[in-house]
Amino acid sequence: MQVRCLYVLTFLSSLIFFSSCQKSSTSTDYIVVGIAQDVESINPLFAFSVDEGSISELLYLGMVGHDWNDEKGEITSEPLLAKNWEWSADTSSVLINLRDDITWSDGKKLTAGDVVFSFDIFSDPVIDSRLFGSFEKFYTDSSGHIDIPKTFEVLSPYQLRIEFLPHSHPTLFNIDLPIMPEHIYGKINRKDVATSDVNKNPVANGAFVLDSWDKNQTLTLKANQHSFLYHKGIIDKVIFKIIPGYTSRLTQLKKGEIDICEFIKPEDTPELKKQGNIEIIPVKGREYEYIGWNNIDPEKFNKEEKFVPNKFFGSARVRKALSYAINKQEILEEYLHNFGQLAAGPVSPIFKDVINPDIKPYNYNPEEAKKLLAEDGWKDRDNDGVLEKNGTKFSFDLFIPGGNPLRNYSATVMKNDLKNVGIDVNIQTMELNTFLDNLFSKKFNAWIASWYIALPIDLKMMWYSKFNSTPINVQSYSNKDIDKILDEIEKSPDKENRKKLYKQFQEIMHNDEPVTFLYWVDDITAHNKRIKNIDINPLGVIHHCWNWKLEE
Amino acid sequence: MKESFGRAVLYRIISSLLILFFLISFLFVLLRISPGGPEQKFISPQLKPELIEKVRESFNLDKPITEQYSAFLLNSIRGNFGISYNYREPVFDVIMEYLPFTLIFALIVVIVQLLLSFWLSFISISRLNSRADRYISKFTLLLYSIPTFVAGVFLIYIFSEKLNVFPSSGLKSIQHSDMDSAARFWDYIEHLILPVITLCLGGIAVYYRYLRDNLEEIYTKPFILNLRAAGVNEKEITLRHVIPNAVNPLITVTGIDLGLLLSGALITEVIFGLPGMGRLTVTAILTRDYPLVLGCTFTAGIFIIITNLAADIVKARIDKRLIKGISG
Repeated sequence: MQVRCLYVLTFLSSLIFFSSCQKSSTSTDYIVVGIAQDVESINPLFAFSVDEGSISELLYLGMVGHDWNDEKGEITSEPLLAKNWEWSADTSSVLINLRDDITWSDGKKLTAGDVVFSFDIFSDPVIDSRLFGSFEKFYTDSSGHIDIPKTFEVLSPYQLRIEFLPHSHPTLFNIDLPIMPEHIYGKINRKDVATSDVNKNPVANGAFVLDSWDKNQTLTLKANQHSFLYHKGIIDKVIFKIIPGYTSRLTQLKKGEIDICEFIKPEDTPELKKQGNIEIIPVKGREYEYIGWNNIDPEKFNKEEKFVPNKFFGSARVRKALSYAINKQEILEEYLHNFGQLAAGPVSPIFKDVINPDIKPYNYNPEEAKKLLAEDGWKDRDNDGVLEKNGTKFSFDLFIPGGNPLRNYSATVMKNDLKNVGIDVNIQTMELNTFLDNLFSKKFNAWIASWYIALPIDLKMMWYSKFNSTPINVQSYSNKDIDKILDEIEKSPDKENRKKLYKQFQEIMHNDEPVTFLYWVDDITAHNKRIKNIDINPLGVIHHCWNWKLEE
Repeated sequence: MKESFGRAVLYRIISSLLILFFLISFLFVLLRISPGGPEQKFISPQLKPELIEKVRESFNLDKPITEQYSAFLLNSIRGNFGISYNYREPVFDVIMEYLPFTLIFALIVVIVQLLLSFWLSFISISRLNSRADRYISKFTLLLYSIPTFVAGVFLIYIFSEKLNVFPSSGLKSIQHSDMDSAARFWDYIEHLILPVITLCLGGIAVYYRYLRDNLEEIYTKPFILNLRAAGVNEKEITLRHVIPNAVNPLITVTGIDLGLLLSGALITEVIFGLPGMGRLTVTAILTRDYPLVLGCTFTAGIFIIITNLAADIVKARIDKRLIKGISG
């Protein structure tokens, strides 16, 4: 028996010894980015998730590149595949000169034909690309497919002109899309593009090309030596390692097995800071949490398709009272450890040129809340602690998606805060897909959710009152003045005028308080300090990572 | 005898296929009536609402459910489960990327469970009611009561974070492609040690309990005493008479366990970042990737049926009286 035990012990210790012999966690020629789940596609046509978008951007460049100017709080544009461009006086067309030194990773030259082909394939209804339906400023047919002969004039292999609809005021963002290789995708039947094997062996034009893709394990990109962005010192390989467990990601970050990790929980930052080799970067103002108050009656809408004001939240006065009644600062300090800031409206504070500094969040003030509720007719007539109006008790279900600790915590705080002003809240947790299904069918009275903001700023999709074309306006907020301002912003070529309009928008929005804006949550990213020249900004974590360098 | 055995197996296969048909039909309906849909990932402020309708159309979700069901059945008979909404690849191809790992992992786990539980059972039984027997019983009970996620996280904390001897996740190292074949093999072993331990713990306890109790029961049977009295040596008694009589319930449990393991070990796969069927299935369910969910369920169903049938055949080989039972 003792001899057997000795065998077992010897085996185990030799196993541990051999295992510990070959640990090398950091390298000078590659970086490892830890991500929670594998990407489904690296074809930019179908890059729907944030990670897919970031990876495909490194493989496929557009004519115009973008960067973030933190001082001005706006996106700046720079030439990438295009050498330069020239707008016509009325901005109805743009003449683009392409670089003549761009080759695809298979050695073929990138030409104006590829550019035309890319607009064609992205707008093709057969493809269902992520940009389908977003070519409103182009000449299109009834299905939304760009009218190629009317829109593009190829003047030479490296020069083309793009014509837009008159008075549509296009910007550089309208010509910003990843350029796809015509000689590859042009041979494939459009119906088969989504399932084609080419998607797994991309012929790219970017700073990186695909090296290997081991499903649900790692996806490796290597520097594209034929790219004009290639330079001495460029990181040779960017490896995306799929680590579903948050604890494992954190452990590997501390051990140096991965170099970058996004979505760090605020409570883990002190421990990471102690490591000495890790830098914490909170990216501000990309996502805001809010409590949605359905402005219309969900039952009437779902049964009779009628837009009747909600019996609780139809009044701006009540919505403001609710915003006053909730102690948002407490959640920000206690749960988010101040990794965020209170939100006053849907315009992110990162947009420094359009944010209205006079608009302040509704600070916690239960007395003011009670006063506003009383003014609206909500009074506790039967002394049961719950307010009533016209025989209706102020009692409702607050829906939150399951598996989100922040929302669990904030819902509990809100329930207690609202109880103090005489409102009864029942918290209902729901599976995410079921939650979304109900949310988009406008079946909830109240819910907690969050939105990522669009870059560049776009408020129309959230707050415009044509509900058929704005399914994201789940709270069914409707204000004619807001609609008018949003239309004007779209049409106005004058930057100063747009700024003025944005500020007006925020004033009206603040007055209406269609939902309770809670806080802008920081996206906390941690990276190993061995990566130099790193610039993590609202455009993404690995955005422009061809400029990064590694410590020797 | 052989003929009746063959007929019994055939009967069993046909009834299993019927069960499989009802299983996927039931699941088809269940998925379609559950709230949410695959198009939900296309709803975001950045995407245009027109795309959502287009996506529903391209997934054929705009067609009546009866039409969808009949198309699904026809395709299933042809072995075509359609295209995964998420991966934009045929479901069969997606499953084939995850299945090899799951097969190897499940087999390793079951073999380790069997070996260790046999070893522990024999230690217990050779010293019946001794201190060692009691300690092993209590220890296995402790193993059984540790939830998988606790064991996994604990092992990562000790062996990966503190001692830094085993990797905390994945199936291979970043440098795997630069290694020679021996180093690659070792790399796989190194990555699999903690997940195998995590997943084995509960199984070892269960197998041990079945085996120990059965061994004890058989050893105390009069025919064993008879054999001993006849002078048959102890090794032959154990190998030829005790084990064949004691393993029957264990084979049934192993069959079920192996079938379940082949349909994926979600928690272990998530904790250790392994590319198994469990993660694939759950992701498909959460994203409402209907074809993939049905493909995964079908695969899991097939494995459960095969492993149970195999267990029954093995049992019948050991005990011929059971042939009748296979067809039942």
